[in-house]
This record gives sequence, structure tokens and C-alpha cells, in this order.
Amino acid sequence: MRREQSLADRITGSSVWRSVVRHGYPDTQRNQALIIASNVFLHIHPVKIKRYATKVTYTFCLGGLSFFMFLVLTMTGVLLMFYYIPSEDQAYQTMQEIEGTVTFGQLMRNMHRWSAQGMVIAVFLHMGRVFYTGSYKPPREFNWVIGVLLLVTTFLLSFTGYLLPWDQLAFWAITVGSEIGGAAPIVGPQVRQLLLGDFQIGQSTLIRFYTLHVIFLPLIAAFLMAVHFWRIRKDGGISGPL
Amino acid sequence: MAEIAQQPGANTGGIDEQKRQKLLELVRGRALARPTDLAEDEVMVWPSLVVVEAVCAVVFLAILTALSVLVNAPLLERANPNQTPNPSKAPWYFLNLQEMLLHMDAGLAGVIIPTLALGGIAAIPYIDRSPLGVGILGTSSKGRKIIALATVFTTVVLVGMVLLEEAIGRGTQFGMGSWLMDTQGAPAWVGSIVISSLIVLGAIFALVVMVKTIYRPTTRELIIALFTGFFITYWVLGFIGTSFRGPEQQLMMPWDLPLVHH
Repeated sequence: MRREQSLADRITGSSVWRSVVRHGYPDTQRNQALIIASNVFLHIHPVKIKRYATKVTYTFCLGGLSFFMFLVLTMTGVLLMFYYIPSEDQAYQTMQEIEGTVTFGQLMRNMHRWSAQGMVIAVFLHMGRVFYTGSYKPPREFNWVIGVLLLVTTFLLSFTGYLLPWDQLAFWAITVGSEIGGAAPIVGPQVRQLLLGDFQIGQSTLIRFYTLHVIFLPLIAAFLMAVHFWRIRKDGGISGPL
Repeated sequence: MAEIAQQPGANTGGIDEQKRQKLLELVRGRALARPTDLAEDEVMVWPSLVVVEAVCAVVFLAILTALSVLVNAPLLERANPNQTPNPSKAPWYFLNLQEMLLHMDAGLAGVIIPTLALGGIAAIPYIDRSPLGVGILGTSSKGRKIIALATVFTTVVLVGMVLLEEAIGRGTQFGMGSWLMDTQGAPAWVGSIVISSLIVLGAIFALVVMVKTIYRPTTRELIIALFTGFFITYWVLGFIGTSFRGPEQQLMMPWDLPLVHH
């Protein structure tokens, strides 16, 4: 006897649905394998995994949260870019507009700011977790090095974003920060010049930091993350007791 | 191979059903292991891992949204190059460097030490190659004791050194650098670079000697002590710089600070 088709059955059985989703509902092991393997976002994962790797108290989700905050930062950052103008004359004014007149502008800015702080903390703690569980040991040596580069990239992303509001906090924090960088032996003055594009922080600094912040460094971070995630799988998945 | 020829359900030849199926697949030319074959200690990523990730993401997003609704990001008055705030501070995650800067040469504190630290950290897996202790927090109970000892040691030494130098005179290398400069005619870099480097190396050396004497550590355990020293230094100096440095970078209690930093 044929079961009567519900509306849901008709939708999920339609040729349009089947063209998008190649597998059935993931309540069988076969479909659970297919949903991971056939989805571009999920196929970052293997189909099956060691049981210990799903324990939250092992990773505290720190690496995942770092990545998640990167995504939040990308989305809120794009929205802020619609309104923000990286000009010495207009930057501060557009910040006030984002906070005062743009719908949800203040919320977007707050989420961007707090995620940025959170990402620095999460990436640093993630490094601690990986270290204390000995997860850098062979065959994961190279991925540890990639991780250190990601830490540096995170610092630079946060640092370049710090100047953009163009308020007293931003201006003087970057002044102090670039003086620290400028104190490098031998190449110090050149480093400072390269960073600021001038003898003091001004329009050329703002456009440099803006470009680094919204496109160059995110691309570097995305590139390094691609390698980082790929190598987790190629080096045998997340570490665990032998 | 007699069993294979038997009818399903009539398997009495000592080979279980699962093995029989696999043998059958071999005969039929199929792969032995299918992607859905699970070992004892394995789970399917969907749902076991995906659900953990989803819950983590949702909980975190809820916290982030709540925080962003409740607390506004700071926006002070417009940047003014002619009006230097007192104190001027770097972003909080660099305040540990700024704190070191108060005590020694700027190039040493701001560039050389952090570069050496990051380089050393990147080199860890090429020094400690033993697979022992992977997946266990702190490797062993001895390792965890070393973490605790290094944490206490680093915190006490750092806070002690900051307070001591504040009492003697900031940037004088506990009076040694200024003494060499004032009475022996030594150039400023002798104190700010040479003596400062010796003090930093001395503190690291003291940690190593202490851990070696008490615990007779393996390479991994010694690296645990050093990494903990770095890890704690990052947060302790950052905490001092964020919460205890007021105008003219004077030490003061957090509630006396004139400006809130984010």
C-alpha cells in the first residue's frame, strides 16, 4: 500500500530540491556520510571522527570560535564599509553617523569591536590549548607554525582596525604602537615610514591601515586558515591520546 | 570458503554474519570498508560533531549579541594630534610590550624580545619531537605541577620586579644601570640593553634551574615551564599596563585611573 505523499515529501522529492540536495534526510548513516561529503561547507570535516574529538572540554571550541569570530567580523565589517569613509576629514563624522543615524549601525559596530577583542583572546588561548595538550608534536609541526603566523595576522588585523574610528583613543594608541615598531634596531625608521606613509599619523596612514584592514590582511588570514584547516585533516585530524 | 556458499541465516561454521558479509563483498569485487563503517571509538561527524559546533556557535552568538546590545564600543572625541592624552596607551594586547618599554630599551622591549619569543614558540615542535603525552593536558601530573609552579613563579617575579623598580626608580635597572651611567660614565645602552637583557635572561634561567632541580624534567616538561612563563608574562604585564598605569605611567589602583581603555 502506498503511503500518501505529504507536502514536505513533494517538496523534498521534487526535481528542483533534488538538484540542490543530492542526498536524503540524514537519519541514516549513508545520508549522514553524504551530507558531509557533498556539501562544500561541511566537507571541511571528515565523515567520521574519533569520539574524543567531539568533547568540548578538550578544545573548549577555541579554534572554532576564532574562526566563527572571523566570520562575524567579515559580515559586520562589510556592513560598516557601506558607511565608513577612510578620510581624515570624514572618518570620525561617518563613525558618528554609524552610531547615531544608521539603522543597527551601533549594534554592528559593537559586534565588530567586541568580536575583534574576543578573537585576539580566543586565538591566544587556542595556542595555549594546543600547546598544553602537546598537539604541535609531529606530524603537526608545520600546522603549529601556520598557527603562529595566524596569531601575528590576528594582531595586525586588530591593530590596523584600531586606527579607523579616528578618535583620540585610536590616534594615540596607534601612535604608541607604531613607536614600538619604529624602535626596531637598524630598520626601525623604515618600518615606521612604511607603516605610517608619513612622519606622523595622517591621511596616508589612514588609507594604508584601511586597505590592510579590509582586504590585504583578511586575504592573508583566509589563505593561512585554508592551509591550517586542511592540514588538521591531512595530519590525522584533531590530536588525541595515543 | 564453505560458509559463503551457505544460505543466509544458516551460518553455523564459526564465522559471524558481519565477516561473512565482508567476505561476500570480496567475492563480488566490492570494497571491504565502506565510508559508513564505524570503528569502536568513532562517531559520525553528522550529527555528533556538527551539533557541538552549532551549539557553540549559537551560544557564543547570543552572548556576543547581548554584550553588543548592552555595552557600546568607545568613541572619544575626534583625533587631535596636538592634544596628547595622559596616559597614552597602545591597544591592550600590546600593553605588555609597552610595560616592558618602561623598564628597558624600546627596541629590546618592543621588537627583539617579542620576535625572539614568537620565533622560539614557532620552533617548539622542532625541538620537542617526542610523541609522549599528546592529547593529555600538561602531559602528566608532573607536567601539571610544573605549569602551576611556573605560573606562580612568573607572576611573583614580574609583580615583584615592577614594584621594586617603581620604588628604586623606573628604567634604572634596579639602580644598576643608572649607577653605571652616573658614576662609571657608561653609555645609556649599557643599562637599557645589556643589563636589561641580563635581568630578563636571569629570570628565565632561574625558572629553568628551579624546575630542573625540583622535577628533573624531560625536554617537553622544560618547554612547558618556558611556555608557561611566556604565556603568563603576556597576561600579567598586559594586566599591569591596562589596569594599573595612570598618568605619567605611574602605578595606581584601577579605580583611580582617569581613562577607561578598551
